Amino acid sequence: MAGARGMAGEVGNPAPSGAGAAPVVSVRSLTKRYGDLVAVDEVTFSLTDGSVTGLLGPNGAGKTTTLRLLLGLVEPSAGEALVFGRRYRELDHPARRVGAVLESGDFHPGRSGRDHLRALALMADAGIPPRRVDEVLDLVGLAGPADRRVGTYSLGMRQRLGLAGALLGEPELLVLDEPANGLDPARIRWLRTFLRGFAERGGTVLVATHVLAEVAQIADQVIIVDGGRLAAAARLEQLSARGESLEDAYLELTARQAS
Amino acid sequence: MRAQLRAELAKQRSTRTGLGLFATMLALVALAILLHALALPAHDLAGRDHQLTVLGRGELLGVLFAALFGAVSITAEYRHGTIRPTLLAMPRRGRIVSAKLAASALIGGAFGLAGCALAAAIGSAVLRARGIEIRLDAGDYVLLVAGGAVAGGLWAPIGVGVGAVIRNQLPALIGICAWLLFVEELLVGDVASVTKVGRFAPGAAAAAITGQQPGALLAPAVGLALLFAYASVAAVAGSLATTRRDVN
Repeated sequence: MAGARGMAGEVGNPAPSGAGAAPVVSVRSLTKRYGDLVAVDEVTFSLTDGSVTGLLGPNGAGKTTTLRLLLGLVEPSAGEALVFGRRYRELDHPARRVGAVLESGDFHPGRSGRDHLRALALMADAGIPPRRVDEVLDLVGLAGPADRRVGTYSLGMRQRLGLAGALLGEPELLVLDEPANGLDPARIRWLRTFLRGFAERGGTVLVATHVLAEVAQIADQVIIVDGGRLAAAARLEQLSARGESLEDAYLELTARQAS
Repeated sequence: MRAQLRAELAKQRSTRTGLGLFATMLALVALAILLHALALPAHDLAGRDHQLTVLGRGELLGVLFAALFGAVSITAEYRHGTIRPTLLAMPRRGRIVSAKLAASALIGGAFGLAGCALAAAIGSAVLRARGIEIRLDAGDYVLLVAGGAVAGGLWAPIGVGVGAVIRNQLPALIGICAWLLFVEELLVGDVASVTKVGRFAPGAAAAAITGQQPGALLAPAVGLALLFAYASVAAVAGSLATTRRDVN
Protein backbone atom coordinates (compact mmCIF):
# COMPACT_ATOMS: atom_id res chain seq x y z
CA MET A 1 0.00 0.00 0.00
CA ALA A 2 2.86 2.33 0.73
CA GLY A 3 3.84 4.38 -2.27
CA ALA A 4 7.24 4.39 -3.91
CA ARG A 5 9.01 6.12 -1.13
CA GLY A 6 12.33 7.78 -1.66
CA MET A 7 14.35 8.20 -4.79
CA ALA A 8 17.57 6.84 -6.17
CA GLY A 9 20.32 7.26 -3.65
CA GLU A 10 17.93 7.86 -0.81
CA VAL A 11 16.25 4.52 -0.46
CA GLY A 12 16.75 2.58 2.74
CA ASN A 13 17.27 5.60 4.89
CA PRO A 14 14.39 5.76 7.32
CA ALA A 15 16.39 8.24 9.27
CA PRO A 16 14.95 10.72 11.70
CA SER A 17 14.49 14.20 10.37
CA GLY A 18 17.36 15.93 8.76
CA ALA A 19 19.61 15.62 5.78
CA GLY A 20 19.51 12.33 3.91
CA ALA A 21 15.84 11.52 4.50
CA ALA A 22 13.66 11.24 1.40
CA PRO A 23 11.67 14.43 1.00
CA VAL A 24 8.02 14.21 1.95
CA VAL A 25 7.30 17.17 -0.26
CA SER A 26 9.37 17.94 -3.31
CA VAL A 27 8.55 21.02 -5.35
CA ARG A 28 10.73 21.71 -8.36
CA SER A 29 10.55 24.77 -10.63
CA LEU A 30 6.84 24.84 -9.96
CA THR A 31 5.08 27.36 -12.17
CA LYS A 32 1.43 28.27 -12.64
CA ARG A 33 0.29 30.85 -15.16
CA TYR A 34 -3.23 32.19 -15.56
CA GLY A 35 -3.05 33.95 -18.90
CA ASP A 36 -0.48 36.70 -18.38
CA LEU A 37 -0.52 36.40 -14.63
CA VAL A 38 2.19 34.22 -13.16
CA ALA A 39 0.76 33.09 -9.83
CA VAL A 40 3.64 30.75 -9.01
CA ASP A 41 6.98 31.30 -10.66
CA GLU A 42 9.72 28.63 -10.62
CA VAL A 43 9.30 27.77 -6.96
CA THR A 44 11.54 25.04 -5.59
CA PHE A 45 11.65 23.60 -2.07
CA SER A 46 11.45 20.30 -0.27
CA LEU A 47 10.29 19.17 3.14
CA THR A 48 11.59 16.27 5.18
CA ASP A 49 9.65 14.34 7.78
CA GLY A 50 9.48 15.37 11.38
CA SER A 51 9.38 19.06 10.56
CA VAL A 52 6.99 21.98 10.82
CA THR A 53 7.29 24.51 8.01
CA GLY A 54 5.64 27.90 7.79
CA LEU A 55 4.69 29.05 4.30
CA LEU A 56 4.66 32.82 4.43
CA GLY A 57 4.04 35.64 2.03
CA PRO A 58 1.85 38.70 1.41
CA ASN A 59 -1.69 38.42 0.06
CA GLY A 60 -1.57 37.19 -3.52
CA ALA A 61 2.00 35.94 -3.17
CA GLY A 62 1.14 32.48 -4.42
CA LYS A 63 0.83 30.53 -1.14
CA THR A 64 -2.67 29.26 -1.80
CA THR A 65 -1.93 28.35 -5.41
CA THR A 66 1.20 26.52 -4.31
CA LEU A 67 -0.84 24.41 -1.89
CA ARG A 68 -3.48 23.66 -4.55
CA LEU A 69 -0.73 22.61 -6.97
CA LEU A 70 0.79 20.37 -4.33
CA LEU A 71 -2.57 18.72 -3.65
CA GLY A 72 -3.49 18.10 -7.28
CA LEU A 73 -6.43 20.49 -7.40
CA VAL A 74 -4.62 22.70 -9.90
CA GLU A 75 -2.34 21.47 -12.66
CA PRO A 76 1.07 23.14 -12.96
CA SER A 77 1.99 25.04 -16.14
CA ALA A 78 5.56 23.83 -15.64
CA GLY A 79 7.64 22.06 -13.04
CA GLU A 80 6.34 19.52 -10.58
CA ALA A 81 5.01 19.16 -7.08
CA LEU A 82 5.41 15.72 -5.52
CA VAL A 83 4.26 14.28 -2.22
CA PHE A 84 6.00 11.09 -1.13
CA GLY A 85 7.65 11.03 -4.54
CA ARG A 86 4.45 11.05 -6.56
CA ARG A 87 1.90 13.48 -7.90
CA TYR A 88 -0.95 13.77 -5.42
CA ARG A 89 -3.48 12.51 -7.94
CA GLU A 90 -1.41 9.35 -8.35
CA LEU A 91 -1.17 8.42 -4.68
CA ASP A 92 -2.88 5.14 -3.90
CA HIS A 93 -4.71 6.22 -0.77
CA PRO A 94 -4.00 9.92 -0.40
CA ALA A 95 -6.18 10.26 2.70
CA ARG A 96 -3.84 7.79 4.42
CA ARG A 97 -0.80 9.92 3.67
CA VAL A 98 -1.90 13.54 3.42
CA GLY A 99 -4.46 15.53 5.37
CA ALA A 100 -5.25 19.05 4.24
CA VAL A 101 -7.48 21.98 5.08
CA LEU A 102 -7.52 24.69 2.44
CA GLU A 103 -10.54 26.81 3.35
CA SER A 104 -12.33 27.10 6.65
CA GLY A 105 -15.79 26.91 5.11
CA ASP A 106 -15.75 23.88 2.83
CA PHE A 107 -18.91 22.29 4.19
CA HIS A 108 -22.52 21.96 3.15
CA PRO A 109 -24.36 24.12 5.71
CA GLY A 110 -27.27 21.67 5.84
CA ARG A 111 -25.15 18.63 6.67
CA SER A 112 -24.08 17.69 10.19
CA GLY A 113 -20.41 17.61 11.09
CA ARG A 114 -20.58 13.87 11.65
CA ASP A 115 -22.25 13.21 8.29
CA HIS A 116 -19.63 15.35 6.56
CA LEU A 117 -16.86 13.19 8.05
CA ARG A 118 -18.71 9.95 7.33
CA ALA A 119 -19.09 10.85 3.66
CA LEU A 120 -15.40 11.79 3.44
CA ALA A 121 -14.35 8.52 5.07
CA LEU A 122 -16.42 6.55 2.56
CA MET A 123 -15.23 8.66 -0.35
CA ALA A 124 -11.57 8.05 0.51
CA ASP A 125 -12.06 4.29 0.11
CA ALA A 126 -8.99 3.77 2.25
CA GLY A 127 -10.31 1.42 4.90
CA ILE A 128 -11.06 4.19 7.40
CA PRO A 129 -13.23 2.49 10.06
CA PRO A 130 -16.48 4.21 11.12
CA ARG A 131 -15.21 4.65 14.69
CA ARG A 132 -12.42 6.85 13.36
CA VAL A 133 -15.06 9.53 12.76
CA ASP A 134 -15.83 9.58 16.49
CA GLU A 135 -12.14 9.60 17.34
CA VAL A 136 -11.35 12.69 15.29
CA LEU A 137 -14.49 14.45 16.55
CA ASP A 138 -13.30 13.80 20.11
CA LEU A 139 -9.79 14.91 19.24
CA VAL A 140 -10.88 18.35 17.99
CA GLY A 141 -13.52 18.74 20.70
CA LEU A 142 -16.58 18.52 18.45
CA ALA A 143 -18.18 15.35 19.84
CA GLY A 144 -20.98 17.42 21.39
CA PRO A 145 -22.15 19.45 18.38
CA ALA A 146 -21.31 16.69 15.85
CA ASP A 147 -24.94 16.05 14.97
CA ARG A 148 -25.82 19.71 14.47
CA ARG A 149 -25.91 21.20 10.99
CA VAL A 150 -22.62 22.87 10.09
CA GLY A 151 -24.58 26.02 9.26
CA THR A 152 -24.94 26.56 13.00
CA TYR A 153 -21.18 26.25 13.70
CA SER A 154 -18.90 29.16 14.55
CA LEU A 155 -15.81 29.83 12.44
CA GLY A 156 -13.63 28.16 15.04
CA MET A 157 -15.82 25.05 15.04
CA ARG A 158 -15.67 24.83 11.25
CA GLN A 159 -11.93 25.20 11.42
CA ARG A 160 -11.77 22.26 13.82
CA LEU A 161 -14.14 20.19 11.71
CA GLY A 162 -11.85 20.79 8.74
CA LEU A 163 -8.90 19.57 10.81
CA ALA A 164 -10.91 16.51 11.89
CA GLY A 165 -11.49 15.69 8.22
CA ALA A 166 -7.79 16.06 7.49
CA LEU A 167 -6.94 13.65 10.31
CA LEU A 168 -9.44 10.95 9.32
CA GLY A 169 -6.90 8.80 7.50
CA GLU A 170 -4.13 9.24 10.11
CA PRO A 171 -1.91 10.97 7.55
CA GLU A 172 1.84 11.51 7.66
CA LEU A 173 1.71 14.99 6.12
CA LEU A 174 -0.58 17.84 7.18
CA VAL A 175 -1.12 20.80 4.87
CA LEU A 176 -3.05 23.62 6.51
CA ASP A 177 -4.03 27.09 5.29
CA GLU A 178 -4.51 29.55 8.17
CA PRO A 179 -5.53 26.82 10.64
CA ALA A 180 -5.69 29.15 13.65
CA ASN A 181 -8.17 31.50 11.99
CA GLY A 182 -11.19 31.87 14.27
CA LEU A 183 -9.81 29.70 17.07
CA ASP A 184 -9.96 30.98 20.64
CA PRO A 185 -6.68 31.28 22.59
CA ALA A 186 -7.14 27.92 24.30
CA ARG A 187 -7.69 26.19 20.96
CA ILE A 188 -4.75 27.99 19.41
CA ARG A 189 -2.53 26.67 22.17
CA TRP A 190 -4.02 23.20 21.71
CA LEU A 191 -3.36 23.37 17.95
CA ARG A 192 0.22 24.48 18.52
CA THR A 193 0.86 21.60 20.90
CA PHE A 194 -0.88 19.18 18.56
CA LEU A 195 1.15 20.20 15.51
CA ARG A 196 4.44 20.07 17.43
CA GLY A 197 3.53 16.62 18.72
CA PHE A 198 2.55 15.53 15.23
CA ALA A 199 6.00 16.50 13.94
CA GLU A 200 7.79 14.96 16.91
CA ARG A 201 6.09 11.65 16.15
CA GLY A 202 7.64 11.83 12.67
CA GLY A 203 4.90 13.67 10.83
CA THR A 204 5.39 16.61 8.54
CA VAL A 205 3.45 19.87 8.75
CA LEU A 206 3.17 22.64 6.18
CA VAL A 207 1.24 25.68 7.39
CA ALA A 208 0.44 28.70 5.27
CA THR A 209 -0.26 31.67 7.49
CA HIS A 210 0.11 35.38 8.13
CA VAL A 211 0.45 34.94 11.87
CA LEU A 212 4.21 35.22 12.24
CA ALA A 213 4.10 34.93 16.03
CA GLU A 214 2.59 31.47 15.69
CA VAL A 215 5.18 30.45 13.13
CA ALA A 216 7.97 31.69 15.37
CA GLN A 217 6.67 29.37 18.10
CA ILE A 218 6.11 26.16 16.20
CA ALA A 219 8.04 26.16 12.93
CA ASP A 220 11.45 24.64 12.31
CA GLN A 221 11.79 26.45 9.02
CA VAL A 222 10.01 28.96 6.86
CA ILE A 223 9.42 29.32 3.16
CA ILE A 224 8.67 32.86 2.09
CA VAL A 225 7.07 33.55 -1.27
CA ASP A 226 6.45 36.93 -2.79
CA GLY A 227 5.07 37.81 -6.20
CA GLY A 228 4.93 34.09 -7.03
CA ARG A 229 8.64 33.65 -6.45
CA LEU A 230 10.55 32.01 -3.66
CA ALA A 231 11.98 34.84 -1.54
CA ALA A 232 13.58 32.68 1.12
CA ALA A 233 13.71 29.17 2.47
CA ALA A 234 15.56 28.95 5.72
CA ARG A 235 15.59 27.39 9.13
CA LEU A 236 14.11 29.66 11.73
CA GLU A 237 17.39 30.02 13.61
CA GLN A 238 19.16 31.10 10.44
CA LEU A 239 16.79 34.01 10.09
CA SER A 240 17.02 35.00 13.73
CA ALA A 241 20.79 34.55 13.80
CA ARG A 242 21.11 37.98 12.31
CA GLY A 243 19.65 39.30 15.52
CA GLU A 244 16.35 40.30 14.05
CA SER A 245 12.87 38.96 14.68
CA LEU A 246 11.03 36.77 12.20
CA GLU A 247 8.79 39.73 11.48
CA ASP A 248 11.74 41.99 10.67
CA ALA A 249 13.28 39.36 8.43
CA TYR A 250 9.97 38.68 6.70
CA LEU A 251 9.24 42.36 6.02
CA GLU A 252 12.74 42.93 4.75
CA LEU A 253 12.59 39.93 2.41
CA THR A 254 9.15 40.67 1.00
CA ALA A 255 9.86 44.37 0.59
CA ARG A 256 12.98 43.63 -1.41
CA GLN A 257 11.06 41.43 -3.84
CA ALA A 258 8.27 43.94 -4.28
CA SER A 259 10.54 46.82 -5.25
CA MET B 1 -16.39 3.20 -7.61
CA ARG B 2 -18.67 1.43 -5.14
CA ALA B 3 -17.21 3.29 -2.19
CA GLN B 4 -17.75 6.61 -3.95
CA LEU B 5 -21.32 5.66 -4.83
CA ARG B 6 -22.00 4.82 -1.20
CA ALA B 7 -20.42 8.11 -0.17
CA GLU B 8 -22.53 10.00 -2.71
CA LEU B 9 -25.74 8.36 -1.49
CA ALA B 10 -24.72 9.13 2.11
CA LYS B 11 -24.23 12.76 1.10
CA GLN B 12 -27.65 12.89 -0.51
CA ARG B 13 -29.31 11.38 2.55
CA SER B 14 -27.62 13.81 4.90
CA THR B 15 -29.15 17.03 3.56
CA ARG B 16 -32.74 18.01 2.92
CA THR B 17 -32.09 19.17 -0.65
CA GLY B 18 -33.25 15.98 -2.37
CA LEU B 19 -36.34 15.64 -0.23
CA GLY B 20 -37.20 19.29 -0.81
CA LEU B 21 -36.94 18.90 -4.57
CA PHE B 22 -39.01 15.71 -4.44
CA ALA B 23 -41.78 17.29 -2.37
CA THR B 24 -41.85 20.37 -4.61
CA MET B 25 -42.15 18.19 -7.68
CA LEU B 26 -45.06 16.21 -6.19
CA ALA B 27 -46.87 19.42 -5.24
CA LEU B 28 -46.42 20.85 -8.74
CA VAL B 29 -47.58 17.62 -10.37
CA ALA B 30 -50.72 17.66 -8.22
CA LEU B 31 -51.33 21.30 -9.07
CA ALA B 32 -50.76 20.90 -12.81
CA ILE B 33 -52.89 17.78 -13.15
CA LEU B 34 -55.71 19.13 -11.01
CA LEU B 35 -55.84 22.40 -12.97
CA HIS B 36 -55.84 20.67 -16.34
CA ALA B 37 -58.22 17.85 -15.46
CA LEU B 38 -60.67 20.10 -13.63
CA ALA B 39 -60.58 23.22 -15.77
CA LEU B 40 -60.30 22.00 -19.36
CA PRO B 41 -63.63 21.62 -21.14
CA ALA B 42 -64.73 17.98 -21.43
CA HIS B 43 -64.26 17.83 -25.21
CA ASP B 44 -60.58 18.77 -24.76
CA LEU B 45 -60.16 15.78 -22.47
CA ALA B 46 -62.15 13.25 -24.43
CA GLY B 47 -59.46 11.85 -26.75
CA ARG B 48 -56.66 9.46 -25.92
CA ASP B 49 -54.04 11.99 -27.06
CA HIS B 50 -55.59 14.68 -24.86
CA GLN B 51 -55.49 12.44 -21.85
CA LEU B 52 -51.91 11.35 -22.55
CA THR B 53 -50.86 14.99 -22.85
CA VAL B 54 -52.45 15.96 -19.54
CA LEU B 55 -50.92 13.04 -17.67
CA GLY B 56 -47.65 13.79 -19.46
CA ARG B 57 -47.26 16.89 -17.27
CA GLY B 58 -46.13 14.40 -14.65
CA GLU B 59 -43.35 13.27 -16.97
CA LEU B 60 -42.24 16.86 -17.70
CA LEU B 61 -42.08 17.77 -14.03
CA GLY B 62 -40.42 14.47 -13.11
CA VAL B 63 -37.76 14.98 -15.75
CA LEU B 64 -37.27 18.65 -14.82
CA PHE B 65 -36.75 17.93 -11.14
CA ALA B 66 -34.56 14.91 -11.88
CA ALA B 67 -32.34 17.19 -13.98
CA LEU B 68 -32.30 19.86 -11.27
CA PHE B 69 -31.39 17.22 -8.70
CA GLY B 70 -28.50 16.01 -10.86
CA ALA B 71 -27.25 19.54 -11.44
CA VAL B 72 -27.48 20.42 -7.72
CA SER B 73 -25.57 17.27 -6.74
CA ILE B 74 -22.46 18.57 -8.51
CA THR B 75 -22.88 22.36 -8.38
CA ALA B 76 -23.46 22.23 -4.60
CA GLU B 77 -19.92 20.87 -4.30
CA TYR B 78 -18.56 23.98 -5.97
CA ARG B 79 -20.98 26.35 -4.28
CA HIS B 80 -20.15 25.18 -0.76
CA GLY B 81 -16.52 24.29 -1.47
CA THR B 82 -16.97 20.62 -0.55
CA ILE B 83 -15.40 19.78 -3.91
CA ARG B 84 -12.01 20.47 -2.28
CA PRO B 85 -12.22 17.95 0.62
CA THR B 86 -13.96 15.55 -1.78
CA LEU B 87 -11.11 15.66 -4.30
CA LEU B 88 -8.49 15.53 -1.55
CA ALA B 89 -10.06 12.34 -0.23
CA MET B 90 -10.49 10.89 -3.73
CA PRO B 91 -8.39 12.65 -6.37
CA ARG B 92 -9.47 10.22 -9.09
CA ARG B 93 -12.06 12.62 -10.35
CA GLY B 94 -13.61 10.29 -12.90
CA ARG B 95 -14.81 8.13 -10.01
CA ILE B 96 -16.39 11.10 -8.27
CA VAL B 97 -18.33 12.03 -11.41
CA SER B 98 -19.29 8.42 -12.13
CA ALA B 99 -20.67 8.08 -8.61
CA LYS B 100 -22.70 11.24 -9.05
CA LEU B 101 -24.01 10.03 -12.41
CA ALA B 102 -25.04 6.68 -10.97
CA ALA B 103 -26.58 8.10 -7.79
CA SER B 104 -28.50 10.76 -9.67
CA ALA B 105 -29.73 8.21 -12.24
CA LEU B 106 -31.17 6.12 -9.41
CA ILE B 107 -32.76 9.05 -7.64
CA GLY B 108 -33.84 10.75 -10.89
CA GLY B 109 -35.57 7.52 -11.86
CA ALA B 110 -37.55 7.70 -8.63
CA PHE B 111 -38.48 11.31 -9.43
CA GLY B 112 -39.78 10.35 -12.89
CA LEU B 113 -41.61 7.33 -11.56
CA ALA B 114 -43.29 9.22 -8.71
CA GLY B 115 -44.17 12.21 -10.88
CA CYS B 116 -45.86 10.05 -13.51
CA ALA B 117 -47.56 7.75 -11.01
CA LEU B 118 -49.03 10.69 -9.13
CA ALA B 119 -50.14 12.33 -12.38
CA ALA B 120 -51.81 9.10 -13.50
CA ALA B 121 -53.56 8.62 -10.15
CA ILE B 122 -54.87 12.17 -9.83
CA GLY B 123 -55.64 12.61 -13.52
CA SER B 124 -57.68 9.46 -13.92
CA ALA B 125 -59.52 10.02 -10.62
CA VAL B 126 -60.58 13.52 -11.67
CA LEU B 127 -61.60 12.45 -15.16
CA ARG B 128 -63.65 9.64 -13.74
CA ALA B 129 -65.27 11.99 -11.24
CA ARG B 130 -66.24 14.30 -14.11
CA GLY B 131 -67.79 11.38 -15.95
CA ILE B 132 -65.25 11.54 -18.79
CA GLU B 133 -64.50 8.15 -20.27
CA ILE B 134 -60.87 7.13 -19.85
CA ARG B 135 -59.35 6.18 -23.17
CA LEU B 136 -56.09 4.85 -21.79
CA ASP B 137 -55.49 1.15 -21.29
CA ALA B 138 -53.17 -0.60 -18.86
CA GLY B 139 -50.38 -0.54 -21.43
CA ASP B 140 -50.61 3.25 -21.66
CA TYR B 141 -50.30 3.57 -17.90
CA VAL B 142 -47.36 1.19 -17.73
CA LEU B 143 -45.60 3.05 -20.54
CA LEU B 144 -46.25 6.38 -18.81
CA VAL B 145 -44.95 5.33 -15.39
CA ALA B 146 -42.09 3.07 -16.50
CA GLY B 147 -41.16 5.50 -19.25
CA GLY B 148 -41.23 8.33 -16.73
CA ALA B 149 -38.82 6.43 -14.50
CA VAL B 150 -36.43 5.82 -17.39
CA ALA B 151 -36.72 9.42 -18.61
CA GLY B 152 -35.98 10.76 -15.11
CA GLY B 153 -33.12 8.30 -14.75
CA LEU B 154 -31.56 9.63 -17.95
CA TRP B 155 -32.27 13.32 -17.44
CA ALA B 156 -30.65 13.39 -13.98
CA PRO B 157 -27.22 12.47 -15.46
CA ILE B 158 -27.81 15.15 -18.09
CA GLY B 159 -28.24 17.55 -15.15
CA VAL B 160 -24.96 16.28 -13.65
CA GLY B 161 -23.20 16.88 -16.97
CA VAL B 162 -24.62 20.39 -17.32
CA GLY B 163 -23.70 21.17 -13.72
CA ALA B 164 -20.17 19.80 -14.11
CA VAL B 165 -19.58 21.94 -17.18
CA ILE B 166 -21.19 25.16 -15.89
CA ARG B 167 -20.20 24.66 -12.20
CA ASN B 168 -22.02 27.84 -11.12
CA GLN B 169 -25.25 26.64 -9.55
CA LEU B 170 -27.72 29.37 -10.44
CA PRO B 171 -26.91 29.56 -14.17
CA ALA B 172 -26.98 25.77 -14.40
CA LEU B 173 -30.43 25.55 -12.82
CA ILE B 174 -31.82 28.47 -14.81
CA GLY B 175 -30.42 26.96 -18.00
CA ILE B 176 -32.14 23.64 -17.35
CA CYS B 177 -35.47 25.32 -16.52
CA ALA B 178 -35.29 27.62 -19.53
CA TRP B 179 -34.49 24.73 -21.84
CA LEU B 180 -37.14 22.30 -20.65
CA LEU B 181 -39.94 24.76 -19.93
CA PHE B 182 -39.42 27.28 -22.69
CA VAL B 183 -37.13 26.23 -25.54
CA GLU B 184 -38.57 22.74 -25.81
CA GLU B 185 -42.10 24.16 -25.82
CA LEU B 186 -41.08 26.27 -28.81
CA LEU B 187 -39.44 23.33 -30.55
CA VAL B 188 -42.37 20.97 -30.15
CA GLY B 189 -45.64 22.74 -30.69
CA ASP B 190 -48.04 24.08 -33.22
CA VAL B 191 -45.58 24.54 -36.06
CA ALA B 192 -45.32 21.13 -37.69
CA SER B 193 -42.11 21.91 -39.58
CA VAL B 194 -40.37 22.95 -36.35
CA THR B 195 -41.67 19.92 -34.50
CA LYS B 196 -40.18 17.69 -37.18
CA VAL B 197 -36.77 18.80 -35.95
CA GLY B 198 -37.77 19.56 -32.37
CA ARG B 199 -38.87 16.01 -31.67
CA PHE B 200 -35.18 15.08 -31.63
CA ALA B 201 -34.55 17.45 -28.68
CA PRO B 202 -33.81 15.71 -25.34
CA GLY B 203 -37.02 16.86 -23.64
CA ALA B 204 -39.14 15.68 -26.56
CA ALA B 205 -37.28 12.37 -26.54
CA ALA B 206 -38.16 11.95 -22.86
CA ALA B 207 -41.82 12.68 -23.61
CA ALA B 208 -41.70 10.17 -26.45
CA ILE B 209 -40.54 7.43 -24.07
CA THR B 210 -43.78 7.83 -22.12
CA GLY B 211 -45.87 7.55 -25.30
CA GLN B 212 -47.04 11.15 -25.52
CA GLN B 213 -48.17 12.74 -28.83
CA PRO B 214 -47.69 9.51 -30.79
CA GLY B 215 -48.25 11.34 -34.07
CA ALA B 216 -45.74 14.13 -33.59
CA LEU B 217 -43.05 12.62 -31.38
CA LEU B 218 -40.72 9.68 -31.95
CA ALA B 219 -41.68 6.12 -31.11
CA PRO B 220 -40.92 5.26 -27.42
CA ALA B 221 -38.00 2.97 -28.24
CA VAL B 222 -36.42 5.53 -30.55
CA GLY B 223 -36.90 8.24 -27.93
CA LEU B 224 -35.21 5.99 -25.38
CA ALA B 225 -32.20 5.35 -27.62
CA LEU B 226 -31.88 9.05 -28.40
CA LEU B 227 -32.17 10.17 -24.77
CA PHE B 228 -29.60 7.55 -23.79
CA ALA B 229 -27.25 9.07 -26.36
CA TYR B 230 -27.84 12.57 -24.94
CA ALA B 231 -27.19 11.30 -21.40
CA SER B 232 -23.97 9.59 -22.54
CA VAL B 233 -22.70 12.77 -24.17
CA ALA B 234 -23.53 14.76 -21.04
CA ALA B 235 -21.78 12.17 -18.85
CA VAL B 236 -18.62 12.28 -20.94
CA ALA B 237 -18.65 16.09 -21.08
CA GLY B 238 -19.13 16.27 -17.31
CA SER B 239 -16.30 13.83 -16.69
CA LEU B 240 -13.90 15.68 -18.96
CA ALA B 241 -14.83 19.07 -17.52
CA THR B 242 -14.22 17.78 -14.00
CA THR B 243 -11.05 15.86 -14.75
CA ARG B 244 -9.30 18.43 -16.90
CA ARG B 245 -10.11 21.72 -15.22
CA ASP B 246 -8.47 23.22 -12.16
CA VAL B 247 -10.34 23.48 -8.89
CA ASN B 248 -9.44 26.63 -7.00
